[in-house]
Amino acid sequence: MKLRNLLLPLLAIFLILACSESTDDGGSTSDDFDRKALLENAADNIIIPALTQLVEDLEDLQLAQQDFTATPNTTTLASLRTHWLDAYMTWQYIEMFNIGKAEEILYAFQMNIYPTNVTDINNNIASGTYDLSIPNNNDAVGFPALDYLLFGVGQDETAILTAYTTATDAQNRKQYLADLIDRMLELSNVVLDDWNGSYRDQFVNSTGNTATSSVNLLINDFIFYYEKGLRANKIGIPAGVFSTTPLPDRVEAYYSGELSKQLSLAALHASEAFFNGRAFNGMGSGPSYASYATYLRNNNGSEDLTAAINNQLGVARSQMNQLDDNFSEQISTSNQMMTRTYDELQRAVVLLKVDLLQTLNISVDYVDADGD
Amino acid sequence: MKLTQLKTYSALLMGAILLASCSEDEGSSVNNLVEAPATYTFERDNNSTVNFSGQTTRIAMAEELNSALKNPNLDEATLDAMFAHEEGNQDFSVGSLNDSDKNLRSKTAASADYFSANSTDAAAIKADFDGFIAGQANEVFPAWGNTASPGTPGQLQQAGGGTIRYISAKGLEYDQAYAKSLLGALMMDQILNNYLSPTVLDEADNRMENGQKVVAEGKNYTVMEHKWDEAYGYLYGAEATPANPSLGQDSFLSKYLERVKADADFAGIDTDIFDAFKLGRAAIVANDYELRDAQAEIIREKISMIPAIRAVYYLEDAKDDLNTDPARAFHALSEAYGFIYSLQFTRQPGTNSPYFSKAEVDAFLSTLMENNGFWDLTPATLEAMSSQIASRYSFTVAEAAN
Repeated sequence: MKLRNLLLPLLAIFLILACSESTDDGGSTSDDFDRKALLENAADNIIIPALTQLVEDLEDLQLAQQDFTATPNTTTLASLRTHWLDAYMTWQYIEMFNIGKAEEILYAFQMNIYPTNVTDINNNIASGTYDLSIPNNNDAVGFPALDYLLFGVGQDETAILTAYTTATDAQNRKQYLADLIDRMLELSNVVLDDWNGSYRDQFVNSTGNTATSSVNLLINDFIFYYEKGLRANKIGIPAGVFSTTPLPDRVEAYYSGELSKQLSLAALHASEAFFNGRAFNGMGSGPSYASYATYLRNNNGSEDLTAAINNQLGVARSQMNQLDDNFSEQISTSNQMMTRTYDELQRAVVLLKVDLLQTLNISVDYVDADGD
Repeated sequence: MKLTQLKTYSALLMGAILLASCSEDEGSSVNNLVEAPATYTFERDNNSTVNFSGQTTRIAMAEELNSALKNPNLDEATLDAMFAHEEGNQDFSVGSLNDSDKNLRSKTAASADYFSANSTDAAAIKADFDGFIAGQANEVFPAWGNTASPGTPGQLQQAGGGTIRYISAKGLEYDQAYAKSLLGALMMDQILNNYLSPTVLDEADNRMENGQKVVAEGKNYTVMEHKWDEAYGYLYGAEATPANPSLGQDSFLSKYLERVKADADFAGIDTDIFDAFKLGRAAIVANDYELRDAQAEIIREKISMIPAIRAVYYLEDAKDDLNTDPARAFHALSEAYGFIYSLQFTRQPGTNSPYFSKAEVDAFLSTLMENNGFWDLTPATLEAMSSQIASRYSFTVAEAAN
């Protein structure tokens, strides 16, 4: 009787102890990989330099906007568009880092929600009174709203310039343009200042294995971005993977037309670079999730997961390279090319979300909203 | 030095504990520990943990569309809306279906194992279904009263004052193609390649939560229990008492499992499937995932036989009527068409592959549809096809044909 009483809980403990390898239960990490160095590399060589670059790009964009609003003509418009694209390209290196202040202020929701809502934009312009920070305006601000304002408000360049010169609401439109860029710069500075302030140290010292540690959050943010921001938003949704018919007007940078591929390639490049710990400035690389996985698997004598992921990302890139510069155009001519790109991107999701996270012994902190 | 020794020692100890407490996963003795209930009844705190309302809903939607495809007064848009229903739209006769956020199209060719990284084929398959619906609405409905002939859609009556069949220019009944293909592309694909797959059952923290019996938010079941039940629902979801199914309760898997088990050559297949569902679910309750996956393999093998047996059955059935009673032959061939279509969603146990690939299925179908389609077929072609199908399974053409 007594023995049984003792044995059962003991057995239970053994079971929990011995079989818990597939679970994730705490802050302790069982390997000697330098997780802090990984976080330092991410913060100091990738995130902060990219954000610094973005703030510079947005400052240049603001100057170009000031020139344009002072003298709207083909030259100032061209310069404005160029600086918008520069900043938009840099943004592709930032969107995945929805962590710290960026997460707190819903940074990405205010920078790159598309399709942009033309009705909301025009209502804001018409009324001249708006609060760009409210969620209702998430799809009326940021890079996609600028895409519409710089490329979509008229059939051609002449008509676009008219919207900023002789149109009755030209003054309000110029103001809206200025306010959008102002807001993007302000938000970016808030995020960058936090990194340059106290957050950087807090971030790099959060090396445990818990749901809220930096090591766990960062990789989850990365994979979530890869799956949602890159795979779904840029390719899957416009290709109709999640809908009854393809939705060619859902591509990124829809109004400028020829840029969707360029932006997607940048996003894929940013993903590969982050995974491998390559510095934003292109000068070398440091400890990364790739090197962490290699470290753990070599200890176990497992096959090279890092190579498998990089190889698959490479396959996805080759497939994406074959697409038309203009994804809407590609969807109309041969949507199969789009879905094939989606499929290659998806094959890396499995490697990242299952194999990589299992190797790292990190839990996924989000699930597909695919209720049934 | 001492620390290292301690480490080594504790590693050894841990190893011993691991072996001791996890060995149940290895041996077959475990079968004695987990016992399946007599019916598919599972409870927690005296409340049922079984729920598959989403599957019951989709089967009901599929039934309504199946009937609608026989109503020539409907148009393509109406039928499309039933296939790709959106919440709140009045597409069905039943309010609960209209209120539902479920639809058929989004789960067609949509399993995690076969299609999550194959949206290209998924899109082509969905388009096939759109094609069946469009063909029925735009080719067959307008020709409803005409007599069909090679190259011309219309109606054709079976000999002896029999049933009137409404066929395409190639002899195909699109409604049959729809129903029998959906049986594979939706029900079978979701069961075998989605809900019974470790990809889905073990997603995210499912194992840990099931191990600790952490229930889904606001529910009485763990996520893993629910996934297994959703597989169950695609076969038994239309039953009046699903815990103790009687089969033949829908026009899809339930109906054709009943037909297959009625053939003495396959007697007991229904019990094998039901028992495996029960034991697998009990294994989840007992945290025995090896036993669970073994039951999944049994279900995969047995359910994969259904479309193959029925395809052979109908091909053989059609063979003798091709010249004497084309309406009867074309009806059988239309059934066969759909069952062959469904072969690409089967699952060979122990693999990540169907018994017939999409390319092989497409080749069969294009043989059936060549030139004037069914009108041009010969018994030899059908015979060759049924042997080819049977040869990949453990049954013979003769066993399936009677």
